[in-house]
Amino acid sequence: MDSALVIEIVDHHGRDPDRLMEIIRDLRLHQYDLPDPVIEQVAERLGLALDQVRAAAVAPILKKRGRPKGKKNKPKLISEPKPKVSVAPRVILRKRPKPEPSLETAAESRPPVPAEAEEPAPTPPAPPPATEEKIAPPAIAAVSEPPMPERRAEVDSTRRYPEMTEPKRSADPTVGPLLEKAKQDGAETAFDRAMEGQKAICQYGANGVCCRLCAMGPCRISLKEGKGAERGVCGATANTIAARNFCRMIAAGAAAHSDHARAVADTFILAAKGEIPGFQIKDEQKLYQLALDLGIAIGDRSVKEIAIEVGEKCLAEFGRQEGELLLVKRAPLKRQEIWRKLGMTPRGIDREVVEMMHRTHMGVDQDYRNLILQGSRTSLADGWGGSMISTELQDIMFGTPQPIASEINLGVLKADEVNIIVHGHEPLLSEMVVVASRDPELLAFAKEKGAKGINLAGICCTANEILMRHGIPIAGNFLQQELAIVTGAVDAMVVDVQCIMENLAEISKCYHTKLITTNYRAKIIGAEHIQFEEHDAINTAKKIVRTAIENYPRRDPKKVSIPQEKSDMVVGFSHETINYLLGGLFRASYRPLNDNIINGRIRGIAGVVGCNNVRTEHDSAHLAMIKELLKNDVIVLTTGCAAMACGKAGLLTPEAAKQYCGPGLAEVCETVGIPPVLHMGACVDNSRILIAATAVVKEGGLGDDISDLPAAGAAPEWMSEKAIAIGQYFVASGVFTVFGVTFPIMGAPQVRDHLFSELEGMVGGKWAFEPDPVKGAKLMIEHIDKKRKALGIDKARERVLYDMAMRREME
Amino acid sequence: MAEKWPTVTKDSFDGSKVEILGETYEPGKPGPEAPGLWRNKLQDRKQMLKYLETGLRYWYAKEGYGSEKRKNPA
Repeated sequence: MDSALVIEIVDHHGRDPDRLMEIIRDLRLHQYDLPDPVIEQVAERLGLALDQVRAAAVAPILKKRGRPKGKKNKPKLISEPKPKVSVAPRVILRKRPKPEPSLETAAESRPPVPAEAEEPAPTPPAPPPATEEKIAPPAIAAVSEPPMPERRAEVDSTRRYPEMTEPKRSADPTVGPLLEKAKQDGAETAFDRAMEGQKAICQYGANGVCCRLCAMGPCRISLKEGKGAERGVCGATANTIAARNFCRMIAAGAAAHSDHARAVADTFILAAKGEIPGFQIKDEQKLYQLALDLGIAIGDRSVKEIAIEVGEKCLAEFGRQEGELLLVKRAPLKRQEIWRKLGMTPRGIDREVVEMMHRTHMGVDQDYRNLILQGSRTSLADGWGGSMISTELQDIMFGTPQPIASEINLGVLKADEVNIIVHGHEPLLSEMVVVASRDPELLAFAKEKGAKGINLAGICCTANEILMRHGIPIAGNFLQQELAIVTGAVDAMVVDVQCIMENLAEISKCYHTKLITTNYRAKIIGAEHIQFEEHDAINTAKKIVRTAIENYPRRDPKKVSIPQEKSDMVVGFSHETINYLLGGLFRASYRPLNDNIINGRIRGIAGVVGCNNVRTEHDSAHLAMIKELLKNDVIVLTTGCAAMACGKAGLLTPEAAKQYCGPGLAEVCETVGIPPVLHMGACVDNSRILIAATAVVKEGGLGDDISDLPAAGAAPEWMSEKAIAIGQYFVASGVFTVFGVTFPIMGAPQVRDHLFSELEGMVGGKWAFEPDPVKGAKLMIEHIDKKRKALGIDKARERVLYDMAMRREME
Repeated sequence: MAEKWPTVTKDSFDGSKVEILGETYEPGKPGPEAPGLWRNKLQDRKQMLKYLETGLRYWYAKEGYGSEKRKNPA
């Protein structure tokens, strides 16, 4: 073997005696039986005893990948030398300082790394530490990264997510029996798949350190310090890889909300022009409100004229190339300044998403801080752009939510009626299905087929949309979509976009249910497709309802089992409605809320939102977290599947205040007559929470910015990329945000530091990860208390009534 | 009062116990009349714009006030 090659390989490992085994392994890739001159050269260069190197040179090498099944504990000897490859140090080009003893101890206590990451067998006795002169400087180092010792300290706390050893069921009593029924019926659900085929969580993926951006990979960065690769083939570090992955999740989430908004804007313009029967401007006042935000003159212009201009201006926000998104002006003034100063103000919705995708392409932005900055900008284009446009235009077309009573859970299905479930996120078609389900002709047709009526219910955020505006009951949240079919009583499940499980097509085959896709952007093999045509929306809806009715006689009574459970709820708490409820038509205001936060009856505000995740007990984390918050006098705003979990548990009724809240919050809720958990809508309606928070700021007495408020956010059962986008726009808007389950950057210590701590100094908000919902709630309460202290409202003050003499004295 | 209406005992600001009027609502569910539909009260454009200037004054009133317009900025 060439002596230069030996030197190169040893130097590429930083001439670190601790890495003797890795050096030997790389040398043996070139020549399996190392000759004495090579061993001597290595010993000399590392400052080690010859015998020590010789012992290492004959030790067996564990094959790194592809270990045969059933021989997990038997190291397989590589019997033949690997073919020669070009010099190629495999990966590690950095200096690795010797760890502190305490860190070593911590490293030992870490759970084992995945099998794939295991490294060669026992290292020889520890050699003396290398001196500074002997260690080559790092060959590659990211300019913006802190020195390595910090990284080493951080790596010790990387997480290993446990394999599922037992099925995570649900806090919802309908789930267990239906899973049993599914088993008997031979129907497979997400709960089964999480326990079988997908039992083990990919640690690299869950920790965000798997890069599959180019064909030189996929590359995985080791989760265990000193073991395995620290860089991808291109040299990307764990921090770059995790930041890119995280930012791509933000881009995807922002794109989902925003493409929803684009579809709504397209329909809105057609509705404004009067070109699509069935759609109209229902909330004129909200139209004027948005017109003022967009700088559109109202005067004596007709509603149609204003609406067309509003629609076109909203649509233009997607393709805007410069300046600022118009709705950003709604944010507190201080917040707008923070964004401008950081270069975080979004320009155009599409522009930010596209730029994010470009910057996360192989070989572009390789500074995790810079990536996250654009990630924040992209997320803001969602929260204060796409999502907000969706909410506003839907409110104008379908009505701004107002308090309305309804029911939730699978018990809303009816044994003697045609059950139609709408599922997804865009309410455009489902609004028309609501109309069609009340059509006398179709009702008569249903009776003709033997049904007593047509029962419409929803799942996921489409459900939230029609619930908030029409009181249509909800059958369940994300993890109940398959179970709804398992009841055997669903005649048609009508899906639009987002969060729709592909398995619905399979599970439908076990029953009589017709799965109907309706959007060209979201087709499923095995489903019937009835394209939603805006120009003929009502007829599309009627066709769907008719299909469901025709399917009703195919229902097998033996397979029908509808749970009894359903709960009452009061929903419809848009920002405008909260403002109205707190002061009435002539004194609408957030003042009572602010006053009660200042006087301590309400400790703070929490937004608990997000999905379900089969990796954690269904609904359980939402409920545990929210109950802990309520107990501590924290009022909760909720959306999406989290809101549904609350509904099922009875938290969305005014009576819940007495049962679950601390005395202060209970008193306020009883006085106003509101539930302690306010359902604000679908996941795009998280923008309502942003506006509510802004209203609290603008009302005064609680600081000048959202980050000053005693408030926090959480998604304890998050699952989708949309949740990451939402979390990031809350953080970038100044909110402390806690996520549960897993968190996709935990394998990148510096990104974690940036998101969990450094961002707070920049934007006032930061992330936290806590899988235990009660601990998560405590983190939120801790943050709320910190903010109360900063505002000087953490202690009761003496109440003094000033008389005139005292006032004069003050002057 | 206690004979006719339910009362509850609460802590006063000075720590003493006070008896106040308790719940007076009737149990049950709201009917189909949907009493919460407050937006229908805004009948014409003038009323709607007026409400924006009052109810949502911090965004839409010419002379908005609140924490952002105070004399001594934080």
